[in-house]
Amino acid sequence: MSEPKRILLTGGGTAGHVNPALAIGKALAGKDTRFFFVGVRGRAEAEIVPREGIPIRFVRASAYPGSRPSLELLRFVANLSVGMLQACLILLTIRPDVIVGTGGFASAPVMFAAALLRRLHLTRARMFVHEQNAAPGKLNQLVGRLADRVFLTFPETLRSFPGNGVVTGYPLRRRIAGVDRDHARTQLDFTIPQGRQVVFVFGGSQGARTINRAIVDALRHLLPLRDRVFIVHGTGLFRSADYHAAGDTEARLEACYTGEERSEIAAFYLSRPFFYQIENVYALTDLVVARGGAGSLYEIASLGLPAVVIPKANLPGDHQVMNARAMARCGGAVVIYEEATLVDGQIVEQVDGRRLADTIVRLLTDRDHLAEMGRCSHAFSQGDAVAIIERCVNTTESEAGAGTSPTPAPGFPAVGASVSAALPSNQALLHHLEREAAHRGPGYRPADIVPSQDDRAYYVSRAASLLVSADWERRNVGVKLIGLLEARDKTPLLLALLADKRPAPFVKRMFGGDYVQVGFIRRNIITAFGRLGVGSPEIAKALLSAFDDPYFEVRAEAARTAALLADRLPDRSDMVAGLRRLLSDRWLEVAGAAAQALGKVGYAHDALPALLSLQDARLWRLRAAALEGLLSLVDRGEAGDPTSLLATLNHFVLTSTDFKPEFQIKRLYGRLLTAIAAREGDDR
Amino acid sequence: MIHLLGALIHSRAGALALLRLSEYLTVRAIGAALTAIVLTLFITPRFIWYLHRRGLVDQLRETGVPSAFDKAGTPVMGGGVMIGCIVIATLLWCNLANRYVLTVLVALLWFGAIGLVDDVAKWRARSGNRGMTEAMKLLLQGTFAAGLVLLLISPWTPLLSGPGTPLLGSPGTPMPAAHRMALYVPFVKFAIAQSAVVYLPIVFIFVMLVGNAVNITDGLDGLAIVPAVFVIGVLGFFAYIMGNAIYAKYLFYPLLPGAGELIVFCAAFAGAGIGFLWFNAYPAQIFMGDAGSLAIGGCIATISVLLKQEALFLILGGLFVVEAASSQIQDKIGIKWLGRRLFYRAPFHHQMQHTGLAETKVVIRLWIISGILALAALATVKLR
Repeated sequence: MSEPKRILLTGGGTAGHVNPALAIGKALAGKDTRFFFVGVRGRAEAEIVPREGIPIRFVRASAYPGSRPSLELLRFVANLSVGMLQACLILLTIRPDVIVGTGGFASAPVMFAAALLRRLHLTRARMFVHEQNAAPGKLNQLVGRLADRVFLTFPETLRSFPGNGVVTGYPLRRRIAGVDRDHARTQLDFTIPQGRQVVFVFGGSQGARTINRAIVDALRHLLPLRDRVFIVHGTGLFRSADYHAAGDTEARLEACYTGEERSEIAAFYLSRPFFYQIENVYALTDLVVARGGAGSLYEIASLGLPAVVIPKANLPGDHQVMNARAMARCGGAVVIYEEATLVDGQIVEQVDGRRLADTIVRLLTDRDHLAEMGRCSHAFSQGDAVAIIERCVNTTESEAGAGTSPTPAPGFPAVGASVSAALPSNQALLHHLEREAAHRGPGYRPADIVPSQDDRAYYVSRAASLLVSADWERRNVGVKLIGLLEARDKTPLLLALLADKRPAPFVKRMFGGDYVQVGFIRRNIITAFGRLGVGSPEIAKALLSAFDDPYFEVRAEAARTAALLADRLPDRSDMVAGLRRLLSDRWLEVAGAAAQALGKVGYAHDALPALLSLQDARLWRLRAAALEGLLSLVDRGEAGDPTSLLATLNHFVLTSTDFKPEFQIKRLYGRLLTAIAAREGDDR
Repeated sequence: MIHLLGALIHSRAGALALLRLSEYLTVRAIGAALTAIVLTLFITPRFIWYLHRRGLVDQLRETGVPSAFDKAGTPVMGGGVMIGCIVIATLLWCNLANRYVLTVLVALLWFGAIGLVDDVAKWRARSGNRGMTEAMKLLLQGTFAAGLVLLLISPWTPLLSGPGTPLLGSPGTPMPAAHRMALYVPFVKFAIAQSAVVYLPIVFIFVMLVGNAVNITDGLDGLAIVPAVFVIGVLGFFAYIMGNAIYAKYLFYPLLPGAGELIVFCAAFAGAGIGFLWFNAYPAQIFMGDAGSLAIGGCIATISVLLKQEALFLILGGLFVVEAASSQIQDKIGIKWLGRRLFYRAPFHHQMQHTGLAETKVVIRLWIISGILALAALATVKLR
């Protein structure tokens, strides 16, 4: 095969896209090959690629905001168009022989431009795409069809690329493998004292807020081990208005620890935004704490390092969680999930520092087990993706035509089956649980539907993470799931959400909106309280304040839940007073629900007269609800003296403007079917 | 056709002067209405049993309101009968060389076909909610709307209207050039806008919205058909005025020669509607389905556009407007954006039911309201 003279690499946004591109490029290179990289200014590739000595050009692109029409979508299209034009110019001037794309929005302009130019026969470059995750990203889904080959990390992804997909595994930068420990020690620009167990903590090239904060919190609990342990912390390059990775970590260190403590910590802890010779750090590491990105995990696994994985939840396809669980199942990793917890009245996703510290200590102390984990970890990654890609590209040249996997899938081998047994998404789970709840009614138990306690715990933590989402629809799903999964330990989160009275943006308020936590969310929180079935004082207080909520469905639902929890509530008189107030609510649904609830919650001295006063209410549905309430009171024996009650009821207005029709023929038909069925039973 | 025969016989044989009546619009209108009523009353029962035998009945839909639950098993596609009867009556009584009538006939058949395909698709899918895709329906309606717009602006339009032969009667011209881009509103004597840039988008959106508004209103037995008859009746009246030189001048309306023929079509429509109501009243023996509601909407929209009375629809078809608006507001603004319900239920007739009104009461009250609105629309004839 003729060696490509010019190779164009593109892929970016994060190092998870840049590094595979670099690795593949190296695989395909010959002696005189020239490389070019195309990316987006200010992203990971701008930092990493120049250090590799590869010229980088920049085009415009921005992330895909979703298909709903919005300003961001307009900006996305505009950026993409400009980027495509720039990319076309670059392609026409550089004239590459091979184009390699690894996904990420930074590569979109080049890939589309390349596809366009190929169609116009203005370029004869061969296009290759690499997909790092089990669930292919949007860009690769679109562009993959047009490429000569799509290199896949997981066998599962073959489904999406039947024509030109090839399972290769994840291409690693060669240089991270096989570095001598002592040599590495000299290469570092900081010193790690001898005889220490090294824990390398990082959250990808961008850093991860949860991990950064968790390790800082964990330092306090690791102080006892300060002579035996060394923590190397890569805080990450991320910088935005909300979060500055390195800066935030520093600030947290200063806030949590006194000057004295900090100097003690400095003896066994070091942080940097980014490590350029990461292979040297890896060579000295005994335990890694990382996110669940495919690239990181693969790197760690190929080096035979045990890991504590803290995956980011609720990503598309939940890919980080799936990767983490797969590695854990193999024995190479321990998974810690982020938990949504209440901190100063705010819901925050975090990992408890003590929990992280305990896990680290536990793993480090048992050295045999740690070594075993390392071996399992190494078994987790098999095969050399780079070599496979190289071979694949060569055969593409010699034999035309699409192929499937040329060699058995390397990488995550024991995981093939377990990865494909993916857990249902939040939406699918919600739909399933709602259907079951409607079906089984009062006999609904989450344990019947999701038998595995681990799975239930995971679903709960995943649903709780939804509660911090920016989209109200996702928060709504989270609330419903917590109710349906009966996760009582998340009650404080729901209470905090309900108490959040931040007003909605002005435009929404003009049209009838009220709070940021929209009406549906507040209503569903109250429904969830009903499902959780706890009558604690906090919940009682929440229900009482919900009686004054601006949205009618919330008030009605609060009344209904008060009735449900009636027996478990500590103090009923407040409830009854609140319900009596709601009887004169101007919304029929609220007053009706209150009337029905009074029957279950109230007594002869308070509820009875209130309900009887509705006897000539204008709307018949309100009167009907009062009758229901009275029925409940009578059943509970709280209806006072029967004779006087009957006398009062004599004046009850019974006219109505609605009725329920009965279609006689349908009733007879039903009776006939029942009779036949009974007969059938007899004859058997 | 009778118009033809009448003119033929009258011009040849001086006798049989009675047949001269067939030249009069009013006579033909009444004739068309009666024909349509009789035809519908005759055909519909047979059609109902045909549908039952073929199993083309309504599938269970979830509406959240109790009474609808009992309607499963009622045949849909009553609109097909209505359309058929209207077409027959029109063929019999209308002067078919009239371009206005031809345009409206095309509208009727086009929208009716869309609705029919949707109904059949829903039946095939055995579900009330999965008929033709929303996008496809909107696309097809949009095609017609675009066609109508083209008709209005086409430079060939005057050419299509030639003098014609006496045998075929006087040909109608769709829209004299002076009024083609004019936008009229009620209460105002002159056109408030004359530019194509303003007018054409309005026409396009109007046609799309009206069809869907009638579709949304068709949710209770008899609810959509009577207001539709009112609207069509008033529009027929407007057609008569605008086609008549004397009245148009007296009432300060633009003269649209030949538009008077539309009253015959409207009468046929009203007749078929009343015939349909005979069977559709609660509890209904047949529903009009998407075929009927889209056809009604399409016709109303087209006639309104042809008579320059688009804005009048806000008053005249106020019921349809409120139903469609309440549905869209509740769904798009409330549920999807604000995350709360703004009304109890939408569309408006469900709201009325939710607070405790029986279906029949809701329907009759809404008939009364639409009657009042029709009268108000008629009042605008003089209140300018």
